Amino acid sequence: MTRIPLPRTPNRLDPIPGRAAADEQTLGMIMGLLSEITVLRARQDACERLLASAGLLPPGAVDSFDPDPAARAEREALRKRSIAKVLRPMQELAQHELASLTTETET
Amino acid sequence: MSWNESAAAQTHPMIAVPSHDELVEQLFVRDLKLHVMQVIEPAQRKIADHVLAGSDARSSNNPLGDLRDAMAPLESFKSWLGIKRESQRQLWAAVGSSVERQAEQLEELGTIADPLGSVTLDPDFVVPDYVAQGDIHLMPGGNGFDDGSILQGAVMDRGGAVYMLGRNGGMLNDLRGQTAMAHLLTFAPDIAPSRILDMGCGIGTSTVPAAVAFPDAEVHGIDVGASMLRYAHARAEHLGARVHFTQASAEHTPYPDGHFDVVYSCVVLHETSPEAMLNVLAESKRLLRPGGIAIHLEVPLIHTMGDHWEEFTSELEAQFNNEPNWRGALTADYRAEMESLGFADVKLGYQSTATDARSSAKVFKETSDGVFRSWFVASGRA
Repeated sequence: MTRIPLPRTPNRLDPIPGRAAADEQTLGMIMGLLSEITVLRARQDACERLLASAGLLPPGAVDSFDPDPAARAEREALRKRSIAKVLRPMQELAQHELASLTTETET
Repeated sequence: MSWNESAAAQTHPMIAVPSHDELVEQLFVRDLKLHVMQVIEPAQRKIADHVLAGSDARSSNNPLGDLRDAMAPLESFKSWLGIKRESQRQLWAAVGSSVERQAEQLEELGTIADPLGSVTLDPDFVVPDYVAQGDIHLMPGGNGFDDGSILQGAVMDRGGAVYMLGRNGGMLNDLRGQTAMAHLLTFAPDIAPSRILDMGCGIGTSTVPAAVAFPDAEVHGIDVGASMLRYAHARAEHLGARVHFTQASAEHTPYPDGHFDVVYSCVVLHETSPEAMLNVLAESKRLLRPGGIAIHLEVPLIHTMGDHWEEFTSELEAQFNNEPNWRGALTADYRAEMESLGFADVKLGYQSTATDARSSAKVFKETSDGVFRSWFVASGRA
């Protein structure tokens, strides 16, 4: 049986005077992300504790972890990827404004 | 009283049990709400105090309106309102997903083979406007929602416990019902009612305490939502409580005059309308036998009238969290209304929160001990 999903949007959300709908959207997305990060962190914590209690992860092993050069390079790439991903809109807007300024100067 | 990550704090037999991730998601909502309340909101209060100190409140015709006008343009005020509401939406989203994941198990648990009580639904029932026009507490679909299942009830149960931050009886979320029954036993310690009615019973968190305190009584609960009532019935059965649930408006119930010994409601009046709450009070009188007792329990915030900040935040809560009759319920002249309906021995005051109606201390006084520690009660004898 296919179940009709429960509704997710409440009836009647009064606008907050003077607040842009886009701000509400952004806030909702940031809170959604914060919730996800909180869940992920708890899950990772659970994994570490389970591994530790099974004797597979000595206490402090994560904090004293010293990645070898290959691992360091991979981890650096991961960090750069995350930063670029999150800051993409800023970069896009800056590029867009730069392009329009350059075009104006040239014409 | 609070809830945390320990498994024992998570459950009664019917409640939707979260997975590891869902539990953290729900605790995140609780902690987000506490953060907003304890860390972000105090600055808004200080801003309000500053505004109020600068204006001559006594010379203003509308100090509350002046406060709203002064605060409305502030970015921090708007973002505070925004995050407060977003935290509420996060609550329902988190609980809704968790309930949906276990829909089948919950439906199975909801099928009761040999019930003690019953559930009676009215396929022609029309949900009152004050429920239909805005989803109370922003619960998507609202209290009247019905998809033929028990899921909206499951959402309300789990969500209600998280909404109260676990401070209203943990996952049983039943301290208001316990407190209403404690009020009854404060003034009628030897009462042995034959029939009791809980008006606006929701998922029965306030009804089960009546069945527990008075196991020989015939206990009824009415509300407007079919999904909620199906769930309420299943929940009560799993808790071993014999309750008869019926879909009906508390303004006009299907019972004859004088049918009950005790009629009560818990935090229902502020979810109605100014007209409807008077109808509910009148209906509670009609349903009582001579000498029967009506108890209407409400949020303990009535004492804050006169504190402009508290009044202002109450109005914001009413507007942005859809509490349709907040102002009406908090400003009503309960004594005048109840006496004009013919109630005698009208009592208004604050009943200290009881964890167990029978064994908890029974304290009823004129002043509030604060939110969660006491509840406003208006009671009277028919």
